[in-house]
Amino acid sequence: MTEIRLSNLGKDFASFTALADMNMTIADGEFMALLGPSGCGKSTTMNMIAGMLEPTTGSIEFDGRDVRGVPMARRGVGFVFQNYAIFTHMTVWDNLAYGLKARGTPRAEVARRVEETASLLQLSPLLKRRASGLSVNILQRLAIGRSAIVEPAIFLLDEPLSNVDAAFRAVMRTELKQLQRQFKQTMIYVTHDQLEAMTMADRIAVMDHGKLLQVGTPLDVYNNPQNTFVAGFLGSPGMNLMQGHVRQDGSSTAVDFGAHGSITVSDTAIEAAAAKSDGRVQFGFRPEAAAPSQDGALRFPVNFIERIGSRTIVHLGDPDNAIKIIVANQTELPRVGEVLSLDITKGSERFFEIESGQAVGRQSDGLH
Amino acid sequence: MNTIADITDTVQKTPADRPNDEGHLGLWLSLPAQLLVLFIAVFPILMQIYISLTDWSPLDGIGWWRAWELWNSFANYTDLAQDNRFWSALLRTLLVMVVCVPVEFLLGLGLAVLFVDEFPGRRFLYSVLLIPMMVVPAVAGYMFFMLFQSGGPINDILAFFVGQPVKIAWLSDPDLALIAVMVADIWQWTPLMFLILLAGLVGVPEDQQRAATLLGASWWRRFITIVLPRMKTIMIIALAIRVIENFKIFDTLFIMTGGGPGVATETISVYIYKVTQQELIWGYVAAIALAILITLSIVSAYAIRHVSSPEADT
Amino acid sequence: MASISFRNVSKSYGKTQALDNVSFEVEDNAFFCLFGPPLCGKSTILKIILGLVQPDEGEVLIDGRPVTHVAPAQRNVAMVFQNLALFPHMTADQNVRFPLVERGTPIDEIDRRVSEIAEKLHISHILQKPPAQLSGGERQRVAIARALVRDPVAYLMDDPISALDARLREQTRVELRRLQQDLGHTLVYVTHDQEEAMSVADSMAIMEQGRIRQIGAPEALYDQPNSEYVARLLGSPAINIVPTELFGTDRTFPEPPAFPGNASSVGIRPEDLQVHTRSDQPNASVISVEPLGGFTTLTLEAQGVQLRATLRSQPDFTVGEKVALAHDTAQSHFFDKAGSAIAAAT
Repeated sequence: MTEIRLSNLGKDFASFTALADMNMTIADGEFMALLGPSGCGKSTTMNMIAGMLEPTTGSIEFDGRDVRGVPMARRGVGFVFQNYAIFTHMTVWDNLAYGLKARGTPRAEVARRVEETASLLQLSPLLKRRASGLSVNILQRLAIGRSAIVEPAIFLLDEPLSNVDAAFRAVMRTELKQLQRQFKQTMIYVTHDQLEAMTMADRIAVMDHGKLLQVGTPLDVYNNPQNTFVAGFLGSPGMNLMQGHVRQDGSSTAVDFGAHGSITVSDTAIEAAAAKSDGRVQFGFRPEAAAPSQDGALRFPVNFIERIGSRTIVHLGDPDNAIKIIVANQTELPRVGEVLSLDITKGSERFFEIESGQAVGRQSDGLH
Repeated sequence: MNTIADITDTVQKTPADRPNDEGHLGLWLSLPAQLLVLFIAVFPILMQIYISLTDWSPLDGIGWWRAWELWNSFANYTDLAQDNRFWSALLRTLLVMVVCVPVEFLLGLGLAVLFVDEFPGRRFLYSVLLIPMMVVPAVAGYMFFMLFQSGGPINDILAFFVGQPVKIAWLSDPDLALIAVMVADIWQWTPLMFLILLAGLVGVPEDQQRAATLLGASWWRRFITIVLPRMKTIMIIALAIRVIENFKIFDTLFIMTGGGPGVATETISVYIYKVTQQELIWGYVAAIALAILITLSIVSAYAIRHVSSPEADT
Repeated sequence: MASISFRNVSKSYGKTQALDNVSFEVEDNAFFCLFGPPLCGKSTILKIILGLVQPDEGEVLIDGRPVTHVAPAQRNVAMVFQNLALFPHMTADQNVRFPLVERGTPIDEIDRRVSEIAEKLHISHILQKPPAQLSGGERQRVAIARALVRDPVAYLMDDPISALDARLREQTRVELRRLQQDLGHTLVYVTHDQEEAMSVADSMAIMEQGRIRQIGAPEALYDQPNSEYVARLLGSPAINIVPTELFGTDRTFPEPPAFPGNASSVGIRPEDLQVHTRSDQPNASVISVEPLGGFTTLTLEAQGVQLRATLRSQPDFTVGEKVALAHDTAQSHFFDKAGSAIAAAT
């Protein structure tokens, strides 16, 4: 159980900067997800924490102790690989005992702790089995058990669910979350799947192009994205973004979307942001924060209607302003090609600067 | 999986799925080839069994097919059981194998471990290491014949270290000659071990090794518990190849010592050569050859069974 | 462009029954999806349509014509593989023209057809690039173009987008659906992702161990599953199968008015379950809360049974909280002991 502090962490591979200026503290016992598309630097960050890579700049501290130069075997890091890296030529028992034996733990204690861990993970009946040919959820438990038995300070998980069937992922997520509660260990989980991050993590760190963009609880990051990338990356589908012109409408201010309508706003910060780029601003709203209404503020032609079980996704607009909204299945909708008018739920409008993509006005609750 | 998106293009060439017709057609089409293989593999063995049961020699002036006229039943085999020269040749061959193969294996493995990681000059050294394997064995024999002369370079080098002239008669001393022969074999065949084992080493999954490291395993423990077990299949193949090859050791040795001095370096192959060429009792030779063939077959069968057993997973 | 029909088709490999009396119709120009767990027989159906495998019994018709004894090459059915199998050393253009070049089509005819299909699939601008420089979606379209360039009567896809990441899958499936609508070829599509299946298909067949359990439009299967098996496969989180012991006076749920006598369980979709706080008669407790932004998934326990509820938006619940459950009785599914759906009593 350890607090991890990353300060100005950076990594260059020749002329390519994989990670720059990462500052983050992961609290003791926290489940932190590093979320981002491939190449965003999340795996580089994790490999540096594990000691597989040495940082180019900055420092990594475990409980205030700088671990740079400490070889990976001595960092006390449990690592769960993408494919679990189970020793398939050994039995389940030998896999679990591996770390303890490597440390020269007395035999009786190895046996006791293997039994203990196995029963905690419901692996006891499998102890004598060879580890090849086990099902993927057993492999996941075994991988976690094998690392947990040596009581590592932290657990690192590298996209462990990416090779798992869609149908089985939900089960594995629940199980993983339960395991974390059992072991109460600091966990860092790398993923590109926002759903995994949202369902399991205490906090999410969203990364892109080697930069940390935002850290916060899943709902905080979801509700108050600090920039357009975070806005679009979280959610299924992500936040809708469209450009509009800010104009004075008598006493009030409005953001005008031409043929698509306009919305009135009251935040002066929006005007300030728009002033930076010819009066234009980016408007964002979540697919579930819009509802069809007779005389809605916004109008879009219906493009495509996608019913997926419990919900219906309506694809609207044109390629420049592709909008998706989620409605209940029973909702009456116009036909494809016809115009749907909708209202945005009050309070869920978000604005971003055009050039920088930075959020306007609202701040997230917790920063770094 | 097929690599062509358009599957109908590829299946065009295969007949429709009618297993029975296909089975018979296959048999008929491959019959000539099967007969040929049968002839090549089985005929010489049958011929040998036949001759091994006779006293036939080319000097007798009758064709081999008439060897039955000199039928002696199992006399060749009973002679063989009492032939001291044969048994000492066999023991000597096994001694060479027991020394050379493990040394080649350990040297090859050690080199392979060194060459798994990148270091400056790796590619160049890699090519240099493979040279001995490419040298024609007869040439290698001649090279070591020169090197081990009593006035040759090996004694000169020893003299440099000892500080006084060394005049060891490597090839004419009955004890030392065998050592010289072994050195030549190890020099020539370590590279093959190295090459096979390096391929095996590269194939050990890297994340398994990392996982072991992160669990606190030392380099040595990782090597013993992860790397070696995962190389089991390839190690067995490498050892089987060398055991079989080494049993047949002949050319290098024959040029260096001719099996001498006396019979001091006479291995099974050299012995067979001498019996064949000098004593010309071919019925007896056939018996020796068969005995060896059976021994080697048992060894290979054992090795193959191990390699293909489900235990040797990847 | 053709319809495909299976009539009582069976196939076994040794002792394994891969298909057991399978019948279905794929209408001309339909997007037909085969869905089920691994080894349920989906791939065997594809192989039979392609002509790579002969059924033991039954009949397969393409465009009303029996094809049981028609060689694969004469069937003119194209296939897009899971890994797309584009040739990495060729440009997109060379990939697309490959099947035509292979069968010796005249060069100007090839040029015409390649540019036609490229235009339809919006890949004209990327034709000169090798696959490595294309995005996942673009590669997909190149693979489809290569399958369609020789104008097959139908094409088959075996789990073509499972390798893409979650976000890209969401986009690609919509794109695939639109493409199929624009191109108007009959498409038989295999997937193991229920969300993908429901999103793309006009009609889908749900399979279990070589048998078809139910066929219909995705909405129909979701709203009126004919069995517990079908109900469980569609929807995430999966439907709650609630034993009848939880219904009645003084129980978690009041007995719905239309409770059939032989029902042994009631299926309630997570989105049809209502969770009330501040109730004076709490009958369940919250075990976990998963806020997902647009909706929230609760795991609840009532009378020892775990239930999942999906609620819109971000309601405030805490673990351990006592709540009252209710459900829309009109949205209940009843199942008998064998797991078959039974109609509500009237």
